Amino acid sequence: MVKNLTLAGMPRMARTRASYIFGVGLFAALAVFGSLPFFQPPAFVESFLYLIFFWIALATSWTILSGFSGYVSFGHGTFYGIGIYSVARLSEHMPLTAAILLAGILSAVVAIVIGAIVFRIQHLRGELFALLTLASTFILSTIVLNTPIDGGPGVSLLVSVPSLFGSQMSTLYLMGMSVALLSVAVAYSVQYSSLGRGLFAVADDESVAEAQGIPTFAYKLAAFAISAFLAGVAGGIHALFISYVTVGETFSITVPLYVLLMSVLGGTRHWAGPCIGATLIASATYLFVSGDYALVTKIAIGATLVVATLVMPGGIMGVVSRFRRINVDQTTAVAGEGKPISQPPGVGPAGASPESVLLKCEGISLAFSGLRALSQVSFEVRENEILGLVGPNGSGKSTLINVISGFYRPDEGHVFLEGRDVAYIGGHRVARAGIARTYQIPRPFARLSVRENVELAAMFGAAASNPQRAADEADYWLAFVGLADRADALPSEINLHQRKFLELARALATQPRLIMLDEVLAGLTPPEVSKAIDMVRRIRDTGTSIIFVEHNMRAVMELSDRLIVINQGKKIADGPPRQVMNQDDVVSAYLGVPHVAA
Amino acid sequence: MNSFIMKVVRSVSAITLTLSVAFVIAPSGAVAQQNSDTIKIGGTLSLTGPLAPTAAMHKIAGEVYVKQLNEGDGLHGRKVEWILLDDQSKPELARTLYERLITKDKVDFISSPYSANIALAVMPVAERYGKALITSTFSMPKLSRYARHFTAWSVGPTPEVSIPTLVLDTLAGAGKIPKTMAIVTGKTPAADFIAAGAREVAKQRGVDVNLYLEYEFGTRDFGPIAARVRQADPDLLFVGALGLEGNMLLEALEKLNYAPRNHFYLYPSPGPLAASKLGANALATALFEDLPPMNQSKAASDFISAYRSAAAQANLPYQEADTQPAAMYSTLQTLTAAVRETKSLDDSKIADWLKVNSVETLIGKLRFDGPGNFGADLTKIKQVQNGKWVVVAPKGFATPGATVIAK
Repeated sequence: MVKNLTLAGMPRMARTRASYIFGVGLFAALAVFGSLPFFQPPAFVESFLYLIFFWIALATSWTILSGFSGYVSFGHGTFYGIGIYSVARLSEHMPLTAAILLAGILSAVVAIVIGAIVFRIQHLRGELFALLTLASTFILSTIVLNTPIDGGPGVSLLVSVPSLFGSQMSTLYLMGMSVALLSVAVAYSVQYSSLGRGLFAVADDESVAEAQGIPTFAYKLAAFAISAFLAGVAGGIHALFISYVTVGETFSITVPLYVLLMSVLGGTRHWAGPCIGATLIASATYLFVSGDYALVTKIAIGATLVVATLVMPGGIMGVVSRFRRINVDQTTAVAGEGKPISQPPGVGPAGASPESVLLKCEGISLAFSGLRALSQVSFEVRENEILGLVGPNGSGKSTLINVISGFYRPDEGHVFLEGRDVAYIGGHRVARAGIARTYQIPRPFARLSVRENVELAAMFGAAASNPQRAADEADYWLAFVGLADRADALPSEINLHQRKFLELARALATQPRLIMLDEVLAGLTPPEVSKAIDMVRRIRDTGTSIIFVEHNMRAVMELSDRLIVINQGKKIADGPPRQVMNQDDVVSAYLGVPHVAA
Repeated sequence: MNSFIMKVVRSVSAITLTLSVAFVIAPSGAVAQQNSDTIKIGGTLSLTGPLAPTAAMHKIAGEVYVKQLNEGDGLHGRKVEWILLDDQSKPELARTLYERLITKDKVDFISSPYSANIALAVMPVAERYGKALITSTFSMPKLSRYARHFTAWSVGPTPEVSIPTLVLDTLAGAGKIPKTMAIVTGKTPAADFIAAGAREVAKQRGVDVNLYLEYEFGTRDFGPIAARVRQADPDLLFVGALGLEGNMLLEALEKLNYAPRNHFYLYPSPGPLAASKLGANALATALFEDLPPMNQSKAASDFISAYRSAAAQANLPYQEADTQPAAMYSTLQTLTAAVRETKSLDDSKIADWLKVNSVETLIGKLRFDGPGNFGADLTKIKQVQNGKWVVVAPKGFATPGATVIAK
């Protein structure tokens, strides 16, 4: 029997149990570490553990944005620094707790401002995003250095930290522990929430994530704000710990590099990764401090980290996850394609009249740098209709799909879905309105399993399901396309035919009113084509309208109720398939104009 | 309880606790050889990280002192053991390590870390345990708020006034009272307030400050600053420079075919500035130089020969026994003098004694009777003459035969 896995790669029934156990574990950690000061250990034990907690908080907070979404930030020092200087400057004027909270809030606000600008620019990913965030650190350090916030001489904290259990160190230790456990709890919650799932999708393919209905901009912004808030709070507490802060040390490159290293070692795609990485690296760094062999020790630690990173590119949690996946594969029985499937709620033949218009495109035009890709394209798609969309290579078919799916905004024109103009509302809203698509070259989320890919689509698509229902729907659609037995595989472990069907399952899981199939048959063998044609019919039987973009004319003629032809960005024919294909201008578009020698 | 999450939680907890225990029981270099009869002095230095080049001098100076001490009768007839840990140039780690030294290694005394930033992070720990902290390079009296903090960096309670005053007096002694002065300073805690003080001193003495520029720590391109200096063409260029910043500014000025008439650098790297032809006649602060009269005492000559030998053995690029190692050496001289005089290992008695007594050290006679326990101002002014440093002021410390060259 198929083991029912969720996006976390964990048996679904175990998911709830795991959450419960995590809660118990967190409470236990709180009880164990929180009670430590009561026993009045030597202060250096608290001090040492404080440093571990400090790095756990920073590394975990970094991972919530950079690890989960793939937006690697070198600017974590910005938010840590805001926290440091907020507390350094505000703690004399308000209660310490308020100053620390305010430090976190200020950091989050700055993150939102930065994010609101950079996340709108599509190409600001990878090294560009990293450099931009690094630049934000330089800008902030310049401001702090050249204003009364610091001005150059550094800031000495005059505020007295209250003594819990008779010791200021105990107070700082408890503060550090609290922010570390809070960070871990937040990272855990984010990872298993729709936010975390959306961020993982963003990391793998942001455009596809948007087309699946994930509000990528809002999610990135939320992750950035959460990450910055936690870093700000950690920085605020750390200001009290070091008691004298300077621009040079606060905004040095050390903080972003350390958190990056810690997260990479532990694993950037799991809440526990930075926790493990921070514990190991901070401990290694702080344990071996003998004055006799200082340099040799540091070189040895550095070399060990290099080797560990090379051997475990996915970090420690990456190895653990791979091990778990192998175990699951070995214990999972194969379920066949013929497995009876139950229909998920909301799926069924449409009751709408085939004559009513579902989608209406009016005068769509789009140009790229002066090159007109689409010119005044207008057409309709009716309820429960399969509309064939054909044209020579480069005619504008995929561009039209990109416009309808919200990836491109047209220069002019409208796309009405049941009377509502969706041309300018953004990709994820289009998906949620009920338009799904597949890609010519399959673009699954590479680091999510087949099941997780479909589950994600179910969760964010038109139906916007809760996790449990999304899992049920994923099961249904995987069985529908015959991939139930490959549910736990990674996309790289299935063949092209299966990846095409995964695209279908993912699109269907959003429960769209309209699905656009972009050359879904390309590269398939004749038997696979026949199977796919049958599947397209079955999709229509669920009540879904289809725009079918294809070069395989056999399939087009067999499937299409109606056909439109695009050439050089213009619609040149619209009507019954056989009639359209016999039109002179269509023949010319495909075969060229005959020239008869005189 | 077989769940993956629980395994992870258990693993992390186990790792954390194991490492904590390891930290508790880990030997710390010399501690492995410790002997209950020894008097233990514990401290950190920045043996790795950005502060390591200078801290390496402090390490050698400290080792030389402890060796010499043990070759004598130690302290109270007991051998002295110096437990030295690497704070990696990180204030937060230094703080934790001092807690460890005091509460786990149970050192009798603590020694100085290198750099004021780290000393400030350590101060609350010293205060909590009542340990006397005698720092080597702490130059900011206003930030010295711990009653048992003393420093061998004896620049007096108001270095922002006394250092620029001494520079101007030195030039005035040669009959060249500057009419104009350009102040260029790095925005670092140690230099920033001195530069600000120099502006006030100049104003009071009727010197026109025709340029006041600040640059960020880490600046490498001094071209724009050099252009402004050239334009101002001051009688005195006063640079709040640390390390190699002075050399970089001079090189930028040379590209503009400009050489300052008189130029002063606060805390430069002494070797490179003296070695550069551009450094001719450069003035700088000093506390100790291997020059008469400072190198004439037996203690000084013993220190110098031992330090030079050890520095050569350690392949230090700069092996002169001057201000930095002497400051570290003087902290230990101060501590042991107080221990001997009080016949006690009690930090409170030692601190009380230091506040009302003076101690003869390499740097001079240290006093701690002023604000922030800053007492005597033992700052000297040295100048590059013929590719070598000579002390030119004050008179009592000037190298015999040397007089300041001023234009």
